[in-house]
Amino acid sequence: MIKRVNFTGRHRISRDRVQIEVFGGQPRKFNATINLQEINLLPHAAVFLEAMCARSTVIERFECGEVENLRLPQNQPLNVIEGKNVFFTLKVVDRTDRFGRILYIAENIRPKDAGEQTAAGRRGILPIEPKDLGEEVWQLEFMEQDVFLLVNKDVPGLVDRARSDPLFYAAVYPEVVRRVLTKAFEENVEIDDEDDRWPVMWLRFGKGLHPGREDPPTGQDRKDEWEDWIEDVVKAFCETHAVKSKYLAATLGGNGGE
Amino acid sequence: MIVRQFCDHGTKAFREFLATCRKDPTTPVPRAMLEDDSLTEPLPVSVEVTPRRLVTKADAANYLASVLKPMSIHEVEENAKLWTWLTLFFFDEVCPERAGRRSVKNDYHYVFEPKNSRHFYRHLLFISWRVLRVAGEHNRLFLGSSLSTLDKMTTEVMKRLFLTRIPCMFEVLDRLYWDKDRGKARVGVVSQQVRPGDLRHRLPLRIHQLEKTYDLLSLDADQLIDLLGDEFQQGHQEA
Repeated sequence: MIKRVNFTGRHRISRDRVQIEVFGGQPRKFNATINLQEINLLPHAAVFLEAMCARSTVIERFECGEVENLRLPQNQPLNVIEGKNVFFTLKVVDRTDRFGRILYIAENIRPKDAGEQTAAGRRGILPIEPKDLGEEVWQLEFMEQDVFLLVNKDVPGLVDRARSDPLFYAAVYPEVVRRVLTKAFEENVEIDDEDDRWPVMWLRFGKGLHPGREDPPTGQDRKDEWEDWIEDVVKAFCETHAVKSKYLAATLGGNGGE
Repeated sequence: MIVRQFCDHGTKAFREFLATCRKDPTTPVPRAMLEDDSLTEPLPVSVEVTPRRLVTKADAANYLASVLKPMSIHEVEENAKLWTWLTLFFFDEVCPERAGRRSVKNDYHYVFEPKNSRHFYRHLLFISWRVLRVAGEHNRLFLGSSLSTLDKMTTEVMKRLFLTRIPCMFEVLDRLYWDKDRGKARVGVVSQQVRPGDLRHRLPLRIHQLEKTYDLLSLDADQLIDLLGDEFQQGHQEA
């Protein structure tokens, strides 16, 4: 078992301490509440909220004052960020001793409430985003926190079909599971990490599907074992969702049985 | 000419011209498309361009920054149809004729795709404008090269949003990688081979390490160069 050590010196703040509410409109606006009570923080450390979304070329950054004198964003416009899946990061930053060092951080904070333009609440493990993909129908995009299923925005109704169409499901999802788990292994994480980045969440998802509920093999040198584990998970995924039967039912109009 | 933007039909027709010109490099540029009402539409604001020589990316960046000033940054950054129209207008500059023939490269050099993370930084006109916008005065590593080609220095930096989002990054790059004797980038900093302190391999890795610990958006160039470590200091001191 590979043990990982937090050498960064930064500490995590629970996301529950940050509440974000986004309102629809042009531009969208948001309110934030930040609770830093009972955390041992430097009183003059700077506090920042950063908003971003998948494929954004910028981070929209909001200064929130200092720990002992917070200035909470109220009715704050989101002028730059456009995607539906907006997420926020809270940083508490040293401005004295080691300038710029991150003391505390809460990442991947999703709005609790949001207008129609914004995704709210806990996300699934595979958010779907419509994008301009040229002649490709779908792609995976791996970001720091999430992996996204991108679907071609020029195909009418494809976002909905990606969620429920048995043909799309059969053609795309088993390969998605295979690819994401393969990539998750390369990230060298463990499923008991206190983390909800995509590789950890997907490995937990895989373990839940695995016929023996086996933990994924650890260690970068055990590629064969990974591949076996992944194939077991993909097979279990197809069986759990009756992928072939639903595909047959949809294409042949039959009952999908043998 | 008053600047317009392509409608969907216009972009499609422009792609067809690119394909035709690849097969027959003597194909004339279809300038009539620029003002064809069935292929283009007006911009919300009135902006005018005039034909001119744009030899380097700096020529294009400075001219376009001035011309597009009436539009908001956001409008300019996202408007694929505007950039594609501008490309047709300046086609002799981005794809010059040599001995009566043009060498048309991949579509993404000419048709802007702002949402495509592998293509957006390869649009010749857009990336020139964007470098000037994000790098400000620290642009000489990028904008001195020919407008009609995409150089490694530009692509290695501009494709990595985590680098370009850091406000002091372009000053840092200029101080680390500009060779004043050569009047251009230091040798080998974007080559395939990994070298200590290089731009292509080592810098992105080191920035990824540092961003776990430091709020890089808070730092100035001196502070970031200090944090990068010894392997980056050599080039800095030589410069």
